[in-house]
Amino acid sequence: MYILAIDSATPVAGLALLNDEKVIREDFINFKKTHSETLMPGVDRIMHDCELTLDQLGAIAVTIGPGSFTGLRIGLAAAKGLSMSSGKPLIGISTLDVLAGNLVFSDNLVCPLLNARKQEVYTAFYEAGGAYPRRLTQDMACSPQEAAARARELAHRLGKPNITLLGDGFYPYEEYYREYFREDLQIVPGPLMLPRAAVLGSLAWQRARQNDFDDTFALRPVYVRLSEAEYRLGKGAL
Amino acid sequence: MKETLILGIESSCDETAAAIVKNGREVLASVINSQISIHQQFGGVVPEVASRKHIENIASVVETAFLEAGLRHDEIDAVAVTNRPGLIGALLVGLSFAKAFAYGLGKPLIAVDHLQGHIWANFLEHPDISFPAICLVVSGGHTSLLLMEGPGQSRLLGETRDDAAGEAFDKVARFLGLGYPGGPAIQKAAQQGTAGIYNLPRVFLDREDYEFSFSGLKTAAMNLWIKQSRKGEARVEDMAAEFQAALVEVLVEKTIRAAKEYKAPSILMAGGVAANQLLRQLMTIRAQQEGRQLFYPSLGLCTDNAAMIAGKAYLDYVADNFAPLHVNAHPGQNSL
Ligand SMILES: [Zn+2]
Repeated sequence: MYILAIDSATPVAGLALLNDEKVIREDFINFKKTHSETLMPGVDRIMHDCELTLDQLGAIAVTIGPGSFTGLRIGLAAAKGLSMSSGKPLIGISTLDVLAGNLVFSDNLVCPLLNARKQEVYTAFYEAGGAYPRRLTQDMACSPQEAAARARELAHRLGKPNITLLGDGFYPYEEYYREYFREDLQIVPGPLMLPRAAVLGSLAWQRARQNDFDDTFALRPVYVRLSEAEYRLGKGAL
Repeated sequence: MKETLILGIESSCDETAAAIVKNGREVLASVINSQISIHQQFGGVVPEVASRKHIENIASVVETAFLEAGLRHDEIDAVAVTNRPGLIGALLVGLSFAKAFAYGLGKPLIAVDHLQGHIWANFLEHPDISFPAICLVVSGGHTSLLLMEGPGQSRLLGETRDDAAGEAFDKVARFLGLGYPGGPAIQKAAQQGTAGIYNLPRVFLDREDYEFSFSGLKTAAMNLWIKQSRKGEARVEDMAAEFQAALVEVLVEKTIRAAKEYKAPSILMAGGVAANQLLRQLMTIRAQQEGRQLFYPSLGLCTDNAAMIAGKAYLDYVADNFAPLHVNAHPGQNSL
């Protein structure tokens, strides 16, 4: 089954085409260019280069957050448009799951971190003992200090000696994390630090093979945070 | 004649809308999901909240348009979408969806200026407009006078230097505690009041050009209101009536003056504020006095909708004026 994977949740623009687990093509761009300009030309290029039409896809995968609010909507709106026009099903995958998927067969506690601005990160914690990440907690938005403290506490409770941090929420607070975790911290090399559309496609394939698809009409971004105005209004989701 | 069916998508502010229009004129379906009740609790449109609603609703709004029109997706000839001006995050939802939808169907994409869409609302309902025409575009974001030599051919004569007319309505309504959206709120209060009890300036009416300014009027209304309140003689209905009268009179007289100067047999109104009853009444009377034909869209086509976008796009379709897949959204206005 061919899967087209679309990720515009963070400054990274990622596109990938997989045939089941096999990666046929992957585009990764971590460079200032707006997703709205590059996303669809990128999809067109991939389909053209790989001599495929949308008809031949089995599913369309997209990161649904957390991440940049606007970036999430650009990716999901495009994925919905492709899904509706082609009649191919949609699979939304957490951006944090995709990041955590960069580490496999490891005893470490995995903490993907996304830069949430306002001195906060989006995070959740994972086990990476198998080929695919196993989520241990819900998404949350918190200070890097709180993320670090929770990670240490959870690692301790699970008897995991080492912690791996990754994602664009690592770099701005790198000094703090290094100071806090010392020799318990194990950092992955650069190519594994940021979300990869190929991983997104691979996680989506795990769902597609079980016919576990999302509803194109109902699928929404996972923002984790309320909008500023809702927050100030002091009420829940509208 | 070959039939051309265009899907239009609009998400520039607080309505998620989709429509299918035949040959630029015949509306086969028009679906509007309004967020007004959601934004009311914030006292105005909140961009992030609007964007969140757009992404939730866009797919079902488009699907509903196809169901209403009784068409399959692949029966349309092109996908048109508003890409300017408006709230950038809101525009990006409609644009990103439209690009992908058009691409998936293998149909061309057409990017439409929202204001050109508002103007086109007139052509959806009135096939018999003679040119040249003077067009007054009045909305929450715009107050512009245009000279039109034909459909889609317009030249800017003048515009507001500061607040748009609808923006002034919103701000004064909020100040007077009348609620949101301001245009309908002030109109409702004004019906119980009398213009002329308070006196507000007709700003720029004495000037020969076609520029507008409503910021000064807004400030004058607020100051007068504070003064009257101190005296304990403030009646909000009379203030609303005078504010509305002052604003509408300037719009009407500048438009009539332009019609005379450019020997335009037709006057068009477009945009959300063109739904204002006093503006419609006064403009009707003055146009009649001056022997001009007045056109304005029905109420449902004055406010934001996608039929006007799909309609305007027909001109682009005929002219092979298609947008590339890298086309972006722009918050600012295109040169009209
Ligand atoms: Zn509008």
